[in-house]
Amino acid sequence: MKLKQLLIAVGTLAIVSFSQSAIASEGHGPALKHAEIDVTDQAQIRRGLTVFTDVCMGCHSATYVTYKGLMDYPEIGLSREEVDELRGDSAITDGMRTDLSPEDAEASYGKVPPDLSLIVPARRGGANYVYSLMTGFVHDPDGKVPEGNYNEYFVGNRIAMPDPLAWLDHEPEDTAELERDAQDVSAFLAFIADPHQNERRALGCWVMGFLLLLTLVLWRLKVEVWKDVKKH
Amino acid sequence: MKTKIFGWIDRRTGAADIIKSQLTEYPAPKNLNYMWNFGSLALLVLVLQILTGIFLAMYYKPSAAFTYGAYTVAFDSVERIMRDVNFGWLIRYMHAVGASAFFVVVYMHIGRGLYYGSYKEPRELLWIIGVVILLIMQGAAFFGYLLPWGQMSFWGATVITNLFGALPIIGEFLQEVLRGGFAVGDPTLNRFFSLHYLFPLLLVAIVGGHIHALHVVHSNNPDGIDLTKDEEKIMFHPYYTVKDAFGVAVFLLFYCYFVFFNPQAWGYFIEVDNYVPANNLSTPAHIAPVWYLTPWYTILRSFESKLLGVVMMGASLAILFALPFLDRSKVRSARYRPVFKQMVYLFFVTVIVLGYCGHSAPTATLKLIGQIATTYYFAFFLLLLVVPKFEKTKPVPEGI
Repeated sequence: MKLKQLLIAVGTLAIVSFSQSAIASEGHGPALKHAEIDVTDQAQIRRGLTVFTDVCMGCHSATYVTYKGLMDYPEIGLSREEVDELRGDSAITDGMRTDLSPEDAEASYGKVPPDLSLIVPARRGGANYVYSLMTGFVHDPDGKVPEGNYNEYFVGNRIAMPDPLAWLDHEPEDTAELERDAQDVSAFLAFIADPHQNERRALGCWVMGFLLLLTLVLWRLKVEVWKDVKKH
Repeated sequence: MKTKIFGWIDRRTGAADIIKSQLTEYPAPKNLNYMWNFGSLALLVLVLQILTGIFLAMYYKPSAAFTYGAYTVAFDSVERIMRDVNFGWLIRYMHAVGASAFFVVVYMHIGRGLYYGSYKEPRELLWIIGVVILLIMQGAAFFGYLLPWGQMSFWGATVITNLFGALPIIGEFLQEVLRGGFAVGDPTLNRFFSLHYLFPLLLVAIVGGHIHALHVVHSNNPDGIDLTKDEEKIMFHPYYTVKDAFGVAVFLLFYCYFVFFNPQAWGYFIEVDNYVPANNLSTPAHIAPVWYLTPWYTILRSFESKLLGVVMMGASLAILFALPFLDRSKVRSARYRPVFKQMVYLFFVTVIVLGYCGHSAPTATLKLIGQIATTYYFAFFLLLLVVPKFEKTKPVPEGI
């Protein structure tokens, strides 16, 4: 019997440490900052979209997000006119792609900036990581890395992306606004990584409710059917 | 029940007798506990995987050709399923969560068989067919994980196919046949897709054999004794149909929680790195297989020599085939085998430990723990040869 308890203890410990390690391995270096995001908040996602098109899209694409999607997803819900203004010469069914060519990016930054369609699930820590990274630019303590390329949260600290929100040496009165921009764009990126996520969770509530009822009914049915089976 | 149409079919197939003998009037022990629910759950998940897989294959495209940036046709098609196909996200998450769910229920099923001695005479072949099912499942899961063509797909397949290269003489040939070239690439993706479709069909056939073998020798029971009296048995229907249905509902609660609220399961069901498109020039910092293969991955990593590691990993699975012949104790259930009971609990702990070590980034401590766990993994099976010689079993009940 002792080992049964040991098994339960190890099992519980494993589950706890597995999920802990999943949380702990979120970032590199300091613990990530918590991003206040809400992927059902249309206002926040739209503000994030603006940050994305004004800042990120200078170098990054989100090719799985079509301009049509910006109209069709109720969480964004832009009008046709707003989308037409955003897309310029791109077709409405095109993905959101940067004008920076890979060759130019390579020449300027040494590498091609990654596509951001799936950046949130593709990074440990998700939206918290994106938010922390945006607001993680500091001066290199050793003074070796060029200004604007040292980030507390990036693996190895040296990041090719040069401080997109101009966080480094910003005026103290701008802190709140920059943090809000970073959180908004994190919310936008978290939403577009899985654009049916709100629909999924809403449907999931109905499914779980139905299953709870079904389980209850089948449990009573099982008890009823089995009541004439004699225990040994 | 015998309508005209059914009667017509029955006279030509004997369907009524089959249904009667295999389902409605199939006798089952009356004392089966809830551990006996996992077999029917495994069948349910197999059906779910096949159904969702058929629909996914209507939209999935196995091609490593580049489309935009680092993205490829295969990666794009998965994202199209997630974004543009009606309820594609549901089907894909059901399939991805289903893969892990399949292993959860099958590992519980195997653990139950181990604990209650379901592998013992006369059920040796039933057990062996089960081990074949496990191996095919692992193969199917491994092939399927390559299909999204993410970083972990690519590097996982690279690491595993590399193992075959360690075998003497045929190794290199085997590795090239698996990959369809010298490295994992477009031909690998195409043949893995083909095999990912083939293996579940094999599973269906072999599961049929597993159920047939079960219905010949009949279910074991928690006391592990042969049932001779009729009052010890009850009809499968309605008693076990309703109990299995209740089990299905409880299972679906867990399954749907993950499908709808936590499909990545903190990176355990869909790994974080698999959202990054495959890149043969950039190796992820830490390559680990999905959780259900990690115990065997630890056994592989516990040996300095690659060849020895591969051989021992193979042996760790192959030894399952030999289990019915290693353990000669006349008593089946661990309930009446005090030494075996402690051993089997420790074995379950060991497999969890092995899984943890295989999932984590390797450190010296974890490696040592993994090696100790590997030692016990094999020791468990080998000790079974001698345990019956000194184990004082408790008296088993006459009946239930």
